[in-house]
Order: sequence, then C-alpha cells, then structure tokens
Amino acid sequence: MKYFKVIGLAVAFCLAMILTNTLICHAYEDTQCFKCHTSAKKLIEATREIAKTRPALKSAETSGEG
Amino acid sequence: MEPLAPHEKIFVDSDIVDDENHGEIACHECHGGNPDDPDWKTAHKDVVKDPTYPDATKACGDCHDEINENYPKSLHVSLRPYKIITDQRASSNAVIRNKLGCAMNAHCFQCHSSCGQCHISRPNSVEGGFLDGHLFQKTPPMQEVCTACHGSRIQKEYLGEHEGLLPSIHREKYMKCDKCHPGDEMHGDGKDYANRYEVENGPKCVKCHEEIYDRKAKNVIAHRIHKEKASCHVCHAQPYNNCSACHVGKDKQGLAFFKTKSSWVDFKIGLNPLKSEKRPEKFVTLRHVPADKRTFDFYVKDALSNFDTLPTWKLATPHNIRLKTPQNSNCNSCHGNESLFLLEKNVEDNEKGANKNVIVPVNLIPKKQKWQPK
Repeated sequence: MKYFKVIGLAVAFCLAMILTNTLICHAYEDTQCFKCHTSAKKLIEATREIAKTRPALKSAETSGEG
Repeated sequence: MEPLAPHEKIFVDSDIVDDENHGEIACHECHGGNPDDPDWKTAHKDVVKDPTYPDATKACGDCHDEINENYPKSLHVSLRPYKIITDQRASSNAVIRNKLGCAMNAHCFQCHSSCGQCHISRPNSVEGGFLDGHLFQKTPPMQEVCTACHGSRIQKEYLGEHEGLLPSIHREKYMKCDKCHPGDEMHGDGKDYANRYEVENGPKCVKCHEEIYDRKAKNVIAHRIHKEKASCHVCHAQPYNNCSACHVGKDKQGLAFFKTKSSWVDFKIGLNPLKSEKRPEKFVTLRHVPADKRTFDFYVKDALSNFDTLPTWKLATPHNIRLKTPQNSNCNSCHGNESLFLLEKNVEDNEKGANKNVIVPVNLIPKKQKWQPK
C-alpha cells in the first residue's frame, strides 16, 4: 500500500510539472510580442509604417573607413 | 555582410520556445513593454532594445553571474583605452575637457558591444538586427559580429581582401576569431586594463606554437636569436591597412558623422611603445591610426593640445600572418633593409614629435649579415 502511495505521489508530481510547463509555454506564446514578432507579415506592415515617419538615423556626410 | 530588411532585423524564430535555457523567459521580462497590448505602438512604450547594456545584471546576471560581474570591465564594454588615450592627449582646461567628453559620447563611445550585441544581434554600430531570429548564439558568428565592427583592418587582413595579399594562414586553416580570442578574453577577467595588449588571457602565439624554441625545431636559431628582439609579426605579418585623420561632427539634421582621409597598405617596423614583461620585444610592427590633432574641432578647438604625448604609429598585431613573408625569406631581406623600418622621413612633419619614441634611428637598423643560418 505504501508503495502505491509513493508511486501515486510521484506520478502526480510529474503531471503537475508537465502541466505547469505547458501552461508557461502557452502563456509565453500567447503574448502580443510573440504573436507579432513571429509573423513576417505583421512586421513588414509595422516596419513600413515606421519608415514613413522615422527620420534618417545615419548622416549622409560620413565618409571613409571607420 | 548582407544587409537585413527592417522586418528581418526584429523577426523572432518561434523555435526560441524550445531553447531549454532561455525559452521560458518571456519577452517583457527583459525588454519591458506591455505584452497584453494589441496595439504595437503603445505596447512598445518603455521598451528597452538592448537590456544588456550598460548593465546586464537584470537580463543575464541571474544565471551568468561570473561573466556579468566582469562584464563592465571588458574592453568591448568599458572602452577604457579610448578614455585613457584621449585623456592623455587632451587639454587640461576643464571647459575644453567637458566639451571633449560630449563629443566622445556622441561618437567614440557609441562603438561598444554588449552581451546582446554579440550573442543575439549584430552590433548597433552596424545597424543591429537579430543574428538568427533572436536565437541565442553561444559563439558569435565572425562576419556578422566580430568583423562587422573590426572590418577595415582585421577583416581585410584576415580574409586577404587587400589586393595582392594573402589571407592569414589561420584563416586557411578554417580558424575563426574565437580560436585565439575565446569568451574568457572577450568577457573580461574583472581587471581594468589600459589597453588590449595588457590583457592577461589575451592571445599568445606560443600557446599553439610552443615548440618553436625547442632544440630540434625548424628555424630554432632564427626564433631564439630574435626572441625578445622582434615580435612574431615583424617576421610573419604581411603589409596591412593604415588610416589617417578622423574628423567628427554633426550634420544639419544633428546626426553624428565622421570623415577619414585616405588609408593605405604598408608595413613598418618601429620601436615598441608598450614594452613590458609580456611584450619585451624591441622591434614591433606599427600601424598609423586615424588620430589627428583636429579630430574634435567641430566641438571644441585645441581639445587635444597634448597630442604629442602619444604616438600616432601604434603597436599593431596585423591579422594576416604567413609562415613565409618577403621580410623573412633570408636574414638580409630585413637586416639593412631601411624600407621596412619607420624612419623619420616616413613621418609627417606635424607628427614627428608624437612619434619620436617609435621612429627607428638609422643606426639602430640591424646590420646586414654575412653569416646566415641554414
């Protein structure tokens, strides 16, 4: 009987760990950050929008080897 | 190096969730922002692009505590040699020094690295962009990280991109930067070094070539005779890139720019300006660096009024090593060959004072040899 209890506890512990890990992964993958940054289509749209308003980042006057 | 499209720079590979070490860290834990906001514009409020610079403690420190402890003193992060050199050349006037500090911040100190800018993305100084969809790279890729910054000198030398010159023999043996510059060196050892040549775990040729002084080794006589007289590069480097006159400023839009004058390929042996127990050689290869008295004139005149305290021909370790070079083909290829040495006539008049300690007086050029080892 004692062995059944120990085995039962071990199985319950493993199940809990697996479920927790799955939930964490799901929580992570469900964020807006992940959804957008893993979608090339969404990123192309966003970066095009940024490019319309964003000023130049590098000066055209730079010349020679750095 | 191929440029990345804007969206490629920030595209995350969904395989990152399978990374057993980093896959469970949610984006906002390092970068901030609001992970639940569906509007990307507001979601990115307070987002930190590189959470590993200047302080990597929050992002990396929990797991990589030892590396994180030494990280601020890594020369790739601290840029301490720049500060020391500029301080030595700078005017003692406090107002001028303050303006010089602002100029350095706008230009020189933008060119640093960080954990993220080696292991996750290309460095910011080459416009960034994930290396491989934000997957963590244990060893940074050579051409997207190392030579992305160290391009005009190291890359061209190492890959043999100068016309008529060969790549380094180490390149031909498929060695990448980390073979000689492993993580331990890059991450720093907690000591505040004044220059890269002092770094205790920096590269040493004899680490791999320890047999060169053995009695039965090939060329043992030449190696023993020249030990402490000439650095390895004096005999084994090919001509290398030299730069001149970097000037910095801001354009009409307020964007920082730099302009450098011509660069040229040359090979010059000079007197060792950094003689030490670790580098005791009398003769070393010297490279002209783009330092100039007027580099910071846009911000403040006469900022480098003590310019002559340091040479503009600096100790160099060209990355284009070959076993056989024109100067080591026989003793008299070098001995008595004035053209290989940095003589007073090779130095610009306005830089003669700065280089007085590295210029080789003609009487110090090794005399031609009658006897030659077999």
